[in-house]
Amino acid sequence: MSSKEKESIQLLQGTLDLIVLRTLATMGPQHAYQIATRLQQISDRLLNLNQGTLYPALGRLEQYGWIKGTWGRTESNREAKYYEITKAGEKALKEETQGWRRLSALVERLLLDES
Amino acid sequence: MKHLRRIFVKFYLLFANSKVEADLAREIGAHLALLEDEYLRQGMTPEDARRAARLAYGGVEQAKQLHRDERAFQGLSQILQDTRYTFRQLRRSPGFTVTAILMLALGIGATVAIFSIVEGVLLRPLPFPDPDRLVILGDVLEDSHCASCAPSSVTAPDIRNYMRDTKSFSHLGGYRQRLFELSGTGDPAAVNATRMSGEVFGALGVPPVLGRTFTQQEDEEGQQVAVLSYGMWWSRFHGDANVLGSKIFLYRKPYTVIGVMPRDFEFPLNPGHANQSELWLPLSLRPEEFTAGSAASWNSRMVGRLKPGITAEQAQSDAERVARETMRDYPAQMRSLRIHAVVTPLHEDTVGQARRLVHTLFFAVIVVLLIACANLAGLLLVRAIRRRREIAVRLALGARAATLLRQAIVESMVLSIAGGVIGLALAAGALRVGVSLLPQTLPRVNEIGLDWPVVLFALGLALLTGFLCGLAPAFAAIRTSMNATLKEGGRTGTSGSGHARLRSALVVAEIAVALTLLSASGLLLRSFGKMRDVKLGFRPDNTLAALYVLPQQRYATQSAIDEFTRTLLNDVGQLPGVDAVGITSFLPAAGNNWSIAFTIEGYVSPKGAGLNMAAMSLVESDPFEALGIRVLRGRVFTESDNAGSQLVAIVNRKMAERYWPGQDPIGKRLRRGMPETSTPWMTVVGEVDDVELGSRDAETMPQVYQPVTQTVASEGVFASPGELSAADGWIVLRSRVAPEEMQDTLRATVRKIDTQLPLYQMQTMEHAISKSEAPRRFNTMLISSFAIVAVLLSVLGIYGVIAFSVALREQEMAVRMALGGQRSEVILLILSSGAKLAAVGCGLGLLGAVAASRLLRSFLFEVSPFDPSVLALSAIAMLLLALAASALPARRASSTDPMLALRGE
Repeated sequence: MSSKEKESIQLLQGTLDLIVLRTLATMGPQHAYQIATRLQQISDRLLNLNQGTLYPALGRLEQYGWIKGTWGRTESNREAKYYEITKAGEKALKEETQGWRRLSALVERLLLDES
Repeated sequence: MKHLRRIFVKFYLLFANSKVEADLAREIGAHLALLEDEYLRQGMTPEDARRAARLAYGGVEQAKQLHRDERAFQGLSQILQDTRYTFRQLRRSPGFTVTAILMLALGIGATVAIFSIVEGVLLRPLPFPDPDRLVILGDVLEDSHCASCAPSSVTAPDIRNYMRDTKSFSHLGGYRQRLFELSGTGDPAAVNATRMSGEVFGALGVPPVLGRTFTQQEDEEGQQVAVLSYGMWWSRFHGDANVLGSKIFLYRKPYTVIGVMPRDFEFPLNPGHANQSELWLPLSLRPEEFTAGSAASWNSRMVGRLKPGITAEQAQSDAERVARETMRDYPAQMRSLRIHAVVTPLHEDTVGQARRLVHTLFFAVIVVLLIACANLAGLLLVRAIRRRREIAVRLALGARAATLLRQAIVESMVLSIAGGVIGLALAAGALRVGVSLLPQTLPRVNEIGLDWPVVLFALGLALLTGFLCGLAPAFAAIRTSMNATLKEGGRTGTSGSGHARLRSALVVAEIAVALTLLSASGLLLRSFGKMRDVKLGFRPDNTLAALYVLPQQRYATQSAIDEFTRTLLNDVGQLPGVDAVGITSFLPAAGNNWSIAFTIEGYVSPKGAGLNMAAMSLVESDPFEALGIRVLRGRVFTESDNAGSQLVAIVNRKMAERYWPGQDPIGKRLRRGMPETSTPWMTVVGEVDDVELGSRDAETMPQVYQPVTQTVASEGVFASPGELSAADGWIVLRSRVAPEEMQDTLRATVRKIDTQLPLYQMQTMEHAISKSEAPRRFNTMLISSFAIVAVLLSVLGIYGVIAFSVALREQEMAVRMALGGQRSEVILLILSSGAKLAAVGCGLGLLGAVAASRLLRSFLFEVSPFDPSVLALSAIAMLLLALAASALPARRASSTDPMLALRGE
């Protein structure tokens, strides 16, 4: 994968990753459907994406070792894969949050200057 | 860190794909189920809930693909996928697969085998440290016209002068290789040994594995020490580490073993297997080697290592200065000789002669490979055309052109790598058998083998082949017009004209290169025939020859030597079955001879003609009768031509015609040396046929025979004090029984005279001739077998193309015949399409043959590279084969039942 490609999707990816991590950190182990529902809730249905879009992000975060998936049962006794944030994930969340704050502050400032 | 971890995981996932895939499907299934539950809870009907769940989730397959893209290296996983697909495809058509792989294995195997020769002989650096600094220093004798003389050789005074007076070499020494009688360990035997200056070891820079090498000082002091080769150490001393200090006897003089060289040490780097040095001895030039005739014998060579910063050109001008001083000191009898110092890189000196042969072989084998590639491309193209519907359907379903291209290339790569691996195995087998069959004209044959560079070459070649072969069909595939193909419906249809052109172009190219190779092989075969036609000048049947060398230790006086010779001739002559016996210093067809300058009475050389060189043979008794050399005029030598009588000589026809054209040579006089040399006259008493001393394709030299007993007298001032003659020679006998049966008898007879004296190189003359023909036979056979393979492959190619186009046009043929066309017309139609391709190919091939002539010229013998009969015959043969290849499909087409084909529609 070329570095250029990576840069161009980094922002979008990073955002989704951050949200997923944050969700798992505050709500405890969740399965993909729960995460998707949560996403819709907090975004006030503004962010109306296909739930399948979540999967690549989950796969990626799992490969980084930031989250860990285990099979379990829902309250309605359906099987589902529950994702849990790991130690490394918590650390990464802290760093990513800071990075995000810095970036958004920068963008905010820039936008203020422009207007 | 996170990226590193991911890379590992991604790689792992390339291979653990199915498990992850199942897990993903399970997770998505669970997700959909949960969504469905939710919608059911909201009061939807089950169908609606299911639909809504799907909608909310989005495309399941897209999500899967995105997940795949994310989790594993995309390019790699696709190639793996393509490879699996290819394997499935190939398993479905085993006939095609086996044909393609075998064809490639043949092409790649042959190329790899030849490349390993190229690599071992030409490309690999010489087995010495810093080999680029090693050079050969020698003289080129002006006007000597001596074709058989070793290039750039030196005399004993040269060795002394160059070593003493040049300043460009950090080490410089002389060497000469000779046969030695070895005794004191096992049976007496002949060994190849090299006498060399101690400095030579310094120049080469290879340390011994055991003991030490000798120094320049030991060399000059005349110490009798010897350094063994690794092979000799094992064969004679069983690798005994206590060999140091033990004694061996060379010509019955004791030498102390002081060292053993490593296994891969080889010096001089002679062509062939047989002549490799087994022993190294100090050169220790004796005083008599600096005087008289020896001072004018260019019988040694010099090797040196250039000082840092000195170029070969600088060293050459340095040596040229010394050469001029050497000439200034020449004695009166050598005044007219002119020498030039020449410095040649050792590598060039070693491989220069072999380069052209190796290049030609490589060229020939590349042609075979190209034809195999063209055939494979043709086969793949046919496959691509057969699969047009499948490809069109895939394009219609949204497959990208790049994917199809990649699959086509992967398919041909899989084939070519399989072919490459099998080819490598074939090459390994061929080399195991083949190296011993290589001609003795190739240097460094022991270094030929499959090593890493060769294996890498083979794999690179396979990949390149696969890529190139895959390109044409790949582009043909993506140019498939989706609409047109699908609209054709169930019909097999006629193939697109573009593809037909491509296939035809491939076949034309194949025929062209095959014809180039075929005509080359024709020219070589004709050269071989011409060589076979050359008169030998002697009768090789029923003749046995063997070399003996009398050790000076035991035969120290002329009378001892003469006594031995007389007894030998007498005893052998009395053996039952022996018709004639004689001794000669040089054996015909054995490839070595000795040329010296002559002065002919009353003959004035045209200006610039140089020295009058002739090959000299010293004979005793009647080798003319034994060898079957025809006497044209006069008489042969008799007992009364001895040391005390008038000096006599016999010349060959070439000598007589050159110096006494149109006259009777009998009674004419000639003497050894240049006009200023004072030597006595010899009178010509006979003229004999021209005898081939080396191989038959070499030029015949003027030849002079002289009784060995008169050698010293005829040498005049060139004779050294106390010089002995007749200490060595070839004993030649003509028998009534098969000469092979005489071998043991001859050996026993010699052993009766001297129990320790070995006989060397015992052989029948027929064997000697076959040996001298071996290099040409090898070239001819190899090129011819390449040509046969090339022609077969290209015939296969033309058959494939015609057969395929006939299959595609089956309906057209059926319609033609249904409408009243004659079978013969159909046959003619198809034959003419084959003939057209062949004709164009042959035209181009003849051009190719002309282009290749430059490379080939030096291998031809009395045949022009443009020999019209050979070129015409090859072209006609190629055309006929092409017609034969198209005849089969033509017959099949003409026997199509019109109704069957039309019903099949």
